[in-house]
Amino acid sequence: MSALLSLEFWSLVGVVAGIYTIFAAGLQLQFGYTGLLNFGHVASMAVGAYTMAILVVKEHLPLWGASLAAIGAGMVFGALLGLPALRLRADYFAITTIALAEIVRYFTLNEQSLTGGPLGTSNLAGATQVAQYNGSWTAFQHQVQGWLHGVVGSHAGSDFTMLVIVWVVALACLAVLHPMLRSPWGRVLRSIREDEDAASALGKPVLSYKLQSLAIGAGFGAIAGLMYAFQFQFFSPDDFDPTITFYAWLIVLLAGAARMWAVPVGAAIFALIFSGTRFFNFKPFTYLDAAQLAYLRLMVIGAILIALMAWRPQGLFGKREEMVLE
Amino acid sequence: MTALLEVRSVQKHFGGVAAVAGASLDVEAGSITALIGPNGAGKTTLFNIVSGFMRPERGTVVFDGRRVDRMAAHRVSRRGLVRTFQTAKALTRMTVLDNMMLAAPDQPGERLWGLAANPVGVRRRERQIERRARELLQLVRLDGHAGEYAGTLSGGQRKLLEFARALMTRPRMMLLDEPMAGVNPTLGLELLDRVQDLRHSQGATFLLIEHDLEVVMAVSDVVHVMSNGAVIASGPPDEVRRSQDVIDAYLGRHGEAAEPRA
Repeated sequence: MSALLSLEFWSLVGVVAGIYTIFAAGLQLQFGYTGLLNFGHVASMAVGAYTMAILVVKEHLPLWGASLAAIGAGMVFGALLGLPALRLRADYFAITTIALAEIVRYFTLNEQSLTGGPLGTSNLAGATQVAQYNGSWTAFQHQVQGWLHGVVGSHAGSDFTMLVIVWVVALACLAVLHPMLRSPWGRVLRSIREDEDAASALGKPVLSYKLQSLAIGAGFGAIAGLMYAFQFQFFSPDDFDPTITFYAWLIVLLAGAARMWAVPVGAAIFALIFSGTRFFNFKPFTYLDAAQLAYLRLMVIGAILIALMAWRPQGLFGKREEMVLE
Repeated sequence: MTALLEVRSVQKHFGGVAAVAGASLDVEAGSITALIGPNGAGKTTLFNIVSGFMRPERGTVVFDGRRVDRMAAHRVSRRGLVRTFQTAKALTRMTVLDNMMLAAPDQPGERLWGLAANPVGVRRRERQIERRARELLQLVRLDGHAGEYAGTLSGGQRKLLEFARALMTRPRMMLLDEPMAGVNPTLGLELLDRVQDLRHSQGATFLLIEHDLEVVMAVSDVVHVMSNGAVIASGPPDEVRRSQDVIDAYLGRHGEAAEPRA
């Protein structure tokens, strides 16, 4: 059980929770507040991570510039996702988003000269040399680690440093969203979720608001993609398979629709399950090998989703009465 | 007097069915005009076309001198032509007050750059809007429900909410689709009083679909009768009441007339 007591392990859980807080916050905006069924949210993460890596490795852009461009690319991608798809009814829109996310993933798999293909970002500069996009990130992280040493002492390893950075970013994201959601702008989004015909009858340009919601949500997805890239120092198309989108759905549904500040709680629970195969080091789980345990956690996630839908559709923090109103 | 709304030869098919087949009508500024006709006559489809929710295949709709038949619904609404729906569209998981405040025009806080650039102006406008929203809620006797979810209101209350919400937009002309349906009769009559007040005090214009002929005859200046997608009679209530075409449309050509012809 020593793994459970190590700061390293809990830092990892916390980093996963932080990255998924940012990621799911984007989906919460799109689904919880605007009512858009986006089943392709992972694509915004891929667009963000790949844009940054490509710009750093191939165009030699400074990391900060490349990261800003990556967020911009994510937002443009979100808006493009909406343009053809939003003329469709909600359920058909949902199907289109899955397809688009898969197109993005297959593009990164096959467009080897641009993305490195199945080998991932280490192949970005061609087969002859190993590409690194995170040189200046590592330097930045060391700097932060130095500051943290001054504050909390020498416990502050690189994992703990990443934990602090990710959560500063995550809380900043929520703090930016908070006043937006409480504003008249957020009120228009909610009216579209409730009844878009009523919203346009009252003079609200529904399409424009849907695109804003998709673009900003995808922007958060791209930021999550950046954090993911910085955490693992290497990524490949396999990191952006459709399961990731459903992790975000689990978090949003756990938190409750339109409960932005509950997203970190949902993300923390998810991160525990995700990293939690380490808990299962007793019988009967010891009969399973590591790969089987990894699948077990997917089954646990699926079971939680089903149980939520059956017994607590409003999530942990949602209001029951909102589920029964028609 | 020129017409505020001119509908000319509008056509709309659904499959092989001509829902609206060359309908034309005028609505004078400052009038209360009724649109009546049997079920399936095309009244609601015509409303959908006039309010920008559907494109007609043929014909034109001119509101206040501008063609609106190719305009998106929200633009038609912003030009001051605001509709309600046959089944009231309450925004159920928003409070009654939020339903009202949403509808106000000229909100700087609805734009992200407005929010960022002028937070003080946004708050000031919110206070103005809230004051007006509460006044209008009082008018339809929903002020006691301001903080509740709109989804908790009854069908009749939702109709009233939708009426008050449309008023929030400060419309020049309102299209009311069966505003009295499901509303308790006393409150319904009050609503009609309100319509008449608004016409007198602000010169507002109303076009309403209504099935209660007593009500229609009592409040409207002009009645248009639709049948099978066309306007078959137009005129003051008394005149229309006596029209043989109208009686035929309502009761069938060979049916026994319920009322003797005057």
